Amino acid sequence: MRGCFAVPEPTVDNKLMRRRRTFIDLATHTIAVVGGLLCLGIVTAVLGWIILRGAPHVDLHFFWEASRESGLAGGIRYQIAGTIILMLTTLAVAVPLSIGLALAATVYLPRGAARSALQGFLQLLNAMPSILFGIVGYLFFFHYLGWGKSWLAGGLVLGWMILPTVTISLIKSMEAIPLKQIHAAAGLGMRRGQIIRSIYLPQSVRGLFTGSFLGLARAAGETAPILFVATVFAGVSLPEGIRDSPVLALPYHIFVLAQDSLQAGAIENLWATAFVLVALVIGLSLTVLPFRLHNSNRRDHA
Amino acid sequence: MDSLLLKKRYRPDLWAVFSWAVLGLVLGVLVYTLATLVVQSLPAWREMGAGLLLKNDWFFRHGRFGAAGMVYGTIVVGLLALALALPLALGAAIWMAEYLAPRSRWGVKVLIESLAAVPSVVYGLLGVLILRRWMGEWLAPFGAWSGDTLLTGGVLLAIMILPTLTTLTEDALQNVSQRQRAAARGLGLTRGEVVWSVILRQAMPGVLAASLLGLGRALGETIAVYLVIGRMDNQLPERLFSGTALVQPAQTLTSKLGGSELYIALGDPVHWGAMMALCLILLGITGLCAGASLFLNRLWTTNS
Amino acid sequence: MCANFGFPNVEESHSLIRPSWWCFALLMAFLLPIFASVATAVDVLRVQGSTTVNSVVADALEILQAEKGLSYRIDTQGGSSGGLYAIGRGAVEVGMSSAGFSEQDRARFPERDLRALTIGYDALALIVSADVWQGGVRSLTAQEMRGIYEGRIRNWSEVGGSDQRIVFFNKEPGRGTWKSFVRWLYGSENAAPPVNHPEVGSNSETRNKVIGTRGALSQLSAAWVDGEQVFALGIRDAAGEIVFPSQTNLADGSYPLTRPLNLLISGPPEGKVQLLIEFLQGPRGAELIRKHGYLPLSAE
Repeated sequence: MRGCFAVPEPTVDNKLMRRRRTFIDLATHTIAVVGGLLCLGIVTAVLGWIILRGAPHVDLHFFWEASRESGLAGGIRYQIAGTIILMLTTLAVAVPLSIGLALAATVYLPRGAARSALQGFLQLLNAMPSILFGIVGYLFFFHYLGWGKSWLAGGLVLGWMILPTVTISLIKSMEAIPLKQIHAAAGLGMRRGQIIRSIYLPQSVRGLFTGSFLGLARAAGETAPILFVATVFAGVSLPEGIRDSPVLALPYHIFVLAQDSLQAGAIENLWATAFVLVALVIGLSLTVLPFRLHNSNRRDHA
Repeated sequence: MDSLLLKKRYRPDLWAVFSWAVLGLVLGVLVYTLATLVVQSLPAWREMGAGLLLKNDWFFRHGRFGAAGMVYGTIVVGLLALALALPLALGAAIWMAEYLAPRSRWGVKVLIESLAAVPSVVYGLLGVLILRRWMGEWLAPFGAWSGDTLLTGGVLLAIMILPTLTTLTEDALQNVSQRQRAAARGLGLTRGEVVWSVILRQAMPGVLAASLLGLGRALGETIAVYLVIGRMDNQLPERLFSGTALVQPAQTLTSKLGGSELYIALGDPVHWGAMMALCLILLGITGLCAGASLFLNRLWTTNS
Repeated sequence: MCANFGFPNVEESHSLIRPSWWCFALLMAFLLPIFASVATAVDVLRVQGSTTVNSVVADALEILQAEKGLSYRIDTQGGSSGGLYAIGRGAVEVGMSSAGFSEQDRARFPERDLRALTIGYDALALIVSADVWQGGVRSLTAQEMRGIYEGRIRNWSEVGGSDQRIVFFNKEPGRGTWKSFVRWLYGSENAAPPVNHPEVGSNSETRNKVIGTRGALSQLSAAWVDGEQVFALGIRDAAGEIVFPSQTNLADGSYPLTRPLNLLISGPPEGKVQLLIEFLQGPRGAELIRKHGYLPLSAE
């Protein structure tokens, strides 16, 4: 075993060597535990802070009332509505597109370079900074199409942003379908379209589900993409049209209030809104965690 | 019977049409994105040339656009975040992968993964309300003017990428086959030695790929950085590794783009072009990280 | 997976659940609203601009909505610059600006016939954090302010305070506050020297950063100064007379750093825009303006 720390030769009982090995073993264990506990500590601190500062101020009243006095008083009714509208639109945009892309990656594209190029492109898109989505969206919807701030624009931009998440999840579940089923179906004389409809799609629903929830969790919390194209701070309740109807949104509300953070009334609302947003996002990701862990556990038996 | 076999009905496969259409659409959007950014930034490139990237001279009112200070800020803040988060993440990953029992590992994993979902604006909030005050007090003896420093940005980003980095690193460690561990233990290695000599050695490309991904995320983060970095232009120190730069306010590409200068730039082709050029530079830097990560991943999975 | 599906086709059963139909339906569901929206005009009063002016306008619109059913939308992104650009581009009906409206601004959008309607006046204060105020600094001259702005004066002890570094937060150059500030110091925006300072954006962010930093100095609308956590310095002239930004000094014009609160519109006012302007320029508007700490048009 090249590169090992010295494995003691069986004939030499070297006390120094044994002590050194014990030290390394202990040190590694310590590093691991310390690292792990610090990590956990930070995680708990962050979550704990949000819960402790935010939860006490959240009640039914908070959800139901609309914002008043530029967010210093009142609740977050329309911010929640806006976030929900954006999430639904995002879903409606991302799901069909990712089904199409996943089918392309697993069925229609020729094997080899084209498929890995698509997968690579998806990974790259996933890593793109969110503000660039917002700016390009701004360029497209404001300058090119001449729209005003619009919830649909926001949904399209966010849908485009979570496309990789949903698609990759879908591709993984499609690739996990046993080949025997495909062969059997082909052997029965089914066309490609029928095979897709009866085998690929139903069996990859789990991947779609996982991916879209994860994607929605991300989309719900993002501020930068919708900053330029979809949200305003005040005056809007529910959108009335398409082209020129912005919405309010939870993350943008937090962003603006965070700059007004030292004013007494704002702080309470701020923490409460942050708590609601974090609860929403964590709720969405935790819902699908069992499915994801189930998938990764299967790998452990290698 | 014969007629059924001979008559080939060419039904168009609508799923294929749909799939290719989506592919075309996606490609179109990609091309549009790149083309529009490049075309819109041309006036600035023509005016400034490479100086846009290399000169530390951003005074838009006087028509000077040199983004070196911002590039420096972006890179330093990203590297700082990685440097702070990676040791912790690696330690935690080793702990989870090698030492913890499956049930506790599951619990810890859930806790950390749930933090990965927390939106960046909430981190920004924590940064503005809490971190900024602490850093201001701690760094005051080192010459910091306020809590808005490069270091604050780095620390905040480190906390942000910690969960993702931990998850990815742990995945990389898990991917080393159990048989390797068994074989090493069978040869008499202690657990610590197994970690260093076997697991880490084999998972290194994966860990590197994970780090690059985390770095990419830190580089591209806007909202959290915008709130705590001070947004001061042209902060490029004379010596590249100067400690004073860490305790002073700075500007990153993302904090500039997230501010209101975009609105000021509208209508002036050179200024707007400079902002679009910033987008391109940001895209380039994050793309490089993501690309390197992808490359490492491919290398690693084809070798294992 | 078999890549080759060259088997003979079997007659497909006529199922109602054809994927092609679903695709088409989904596509239509997407496109129809877009077509519909092109036809419908959204009849809402859109307002964008300065956070300074916004505090008054937001209240006024809330009242008008309650009384007259006026639906509106406010955006404060980009400050006064954002407002100017929005009205220039036709994205909004009313822009809000806390800087003066110059010929240069009008010349940016020649085809829009932009005009500025003043609804009140605001004093721009140089604010400091509590520790500076307690250190004895009560006023600055324009000369000293220029020195600080250009980085020549770096310590409060040079201007009569304690030994503490001056941490100057500069307003974002697009803000009306910044424009008024440099016009006072240098005459026009273009004459302002290129300097680097940490930046702040909205009025609220300015106040918060100053509160949270020792030795802080920034520019802020006087109406946002509370006298408990942030303090407004007076302006000292060559003779040594100090003028503080109070309502009286603002009204009689002795405080030099004032700026108009403007509504920017395109063309003559009509409809909803007219409603808003009449309200703001009338007695109820004046009351609102005074309530927010600004000076109304007719100083009563």
